[in-house]
Amino acid sequence: MRRVIITAVGTIVGLIMLLSFKTRSAPQATVAVGPSTGAPITTSPTTSAPTANGAPTSPTAPTSGTPGAASGSTSPTTGAPVTKTVTGSAASTRYGPVKVQITVTGGQVTAVRAVEYPTGSSRDQEINSFAIPQLNQEALAAKSAQIDMVSGATYTSSGYITSLQSALSKAGVA
Amino acid sequence: MTAVLQERRPGVTAAPPVPPPAARRAHPGAVLAVIGAGAAAAIWLWWHDTPVVHGFGDWLTNAGRITGLLAGYAVVVLVALMARIPPLERGIGADRLARWHSKGGRYAVSLVVAHSLLIVWGYAVSAHTNVVHQTSTLLMTYPDVMAATVAGLLLVVVGVTSARAARRRLRYETWYYLHFYTYLAVALAFSHQFATGADFMTHPMARALWAAMYAAVAAAILWYRFITPIRQAFRHRMRVLAVTREGPNVVSVVIHGRHLDELRAESGQFFRWRFLSPGLWWTSSPYSLSAGPRPNHLRITIKDLGDHSAAVAAVKPGTPVMAEGPYGAVTAAVRRRRKVLLIGGGIGITPLRALFETLPAAPGDLTLLYRASEPADIVFRDELEQLARRRHARLHFVIGRRAELGYDPLSPRALASNVADLKQHDVYVCGPAGMAESVRRALRRAGVPGRQIHHESFEF
Repeated sequence: MRRVIITAVGTIVGLIMLLSFKTRSAPQATVAVGPSTGAPITTSPTTSAPTANGAPTSPTAPTSGTPGAASGSTSPTTGAPVTKTVTGSAASTRYGPVKVQITVTGGQVTAVRAVEYPTGSSRDQEINSFAIPQLNQEALAAKSAQIDMVSGATYTSSGYITSLQSALSKAGVA
Repeated sequence: MTAVLQERRPGVTAAPPVPPPAARRAHPGAVLAVIGAGAAAAIWLWWHDTPVVHGFGDWLTNAGRITGLLAGYAVVVLVALMARIPPLERGIGADRLARWHSKGGRYAVSLVVAHSLLIVWGYAVSAHTNVVHQTSTLLMTYPDVMAATVAGLLLVVVGVTSARAARRRLRYETWYYLHFYTYLAVALAFSHQFATGADFMTHPMARALWAAMYAAVAAAILWYRFITPIRQAFRHRMRVLAVTREGPNVVSVVIHGRHLDELRAESGQFFRWRFLSPGLWWTSSPYSLSAGPRPNHLRITIKDLGDHSAAVAAVKPGTPVMAEGPYGAVTAAVRRRRKVLLIGGGIGITPLRALFETLPAAPGDLTLLYRASEPADIVFRDELEQLARRRHARLHFVIGRRAELGYDPLSPRALASNVADLKQHDVYVCGPAGMAESVRRALRRAGVPGRQIHHESFEF
């Protein structure tokens, strides 16, 4: 009986140790990019639509658009607020690629959404149905790729962060 | 040495003993180290594959993944231990293998249960659903998970029936055949490991190695448990030669066969016997050799303990026999000292009778202590006395219940006074589990090092 208890406790302690090691090596390191590295030149990379397209981005764009304040810090294009949509490169995860699209108005991130994410299984759908909105919201609030991962959606989260980072870099915002 | 061999010739049952076998034996410590390394590799697979664990749901899911990997590994190790692989049987012994198997089996079933609960719970937390909904989602959307669930339930059933308490209420044969469902369970659970196992979906190498491990164990099972007995049956063509009564409930069965020396059986070992007569052919049972193996003859001695042993006593000469084996590690090979003490109780005398006959020993170096509660329980009295005379070995019968004797003849004091330089002896013990255990403790207290005590039990 004592041996049974020792084995059970040993297994549980071993599991907790293994898992806590993995918890400590935090996600931030993968995408930490300082604001200074972002090249300010708008090279209009992939799909830069200069006007607000019909997507759900438009309603938020004009309200938060006080471009004057923001343009001073980041953007070289002074004058009228330019709205552009940039799609980050697809980050592949174990369950499929994640692609994030951002809308930038006058150097400010005004909308973030995932245009592609794993939906292959019902579990993917279940997880991502709450993880993606949460990540969108976090990214919009942070206006950077330094956001928290969503619990239970580790792979989607890390793919999301990678793609978001690439979109921010392309847009010259990060 | 030569003197002993010459002396053996004029003896009664004498025939040249089978030449010393050069069979390979696995070292128990090495086997445990290999098993541990495999478990570490399974954990490493998870470690290598998991970038980060984030949040409660992820914790649960990953704990589920680790326990799942370990369970998948443990199940295959458990089957391998029971695959009757000769170096394991000779080096570790069927008895110790069975104990490892039963301890490991309980652990593996716990891992399987933990794995399924943790995965369901973890998925439910991550997906913000409840456990019941999550369970049905998993079962409905993944056909492999459905199969694995059936497998898990089978393993739990086998585990419960194997628990010692339950087993006493079950016939040995029932328990034995229930155990075959583990093969079905392992097969059913296999597909979900690759179809849904995150670590195998993306690593062809891991998948290949894992599949190779399963295939190797399946091959070993097929070869050693199914093909080898059939091959041996055709090669040796064993038949019952005679059935002789040794005591009230004890019979000896002499079996004739060809090329039996090729089996490299040793005194102290046993075979699993299958008598091909109506009512007996479908089951096999382990019985020890009760005489040194001869090139054409083997002898076993059976006490009527259950359905099977009673039926064997009624077997007719000429009945064909299949023998699986030899098994057992308590042979001359484990001996470390010049002097040997054999302690037998009840029907446990059978392998010791064979060792008493064939263990190389100079006059005076070999002692047999035979414990029985009643004179009627003593078997082989004449044979043992003849052997003792021929080999100049000592033979003590200790008969009578402890209360009648007024002392415990197997206490440390009694043993030490009965056998001079007890500590210098290798001691082979065979008897009922309770007696064997108390003898082992008494020997340790009398100062005999544990590595000089050799014991195998037949409790299943």
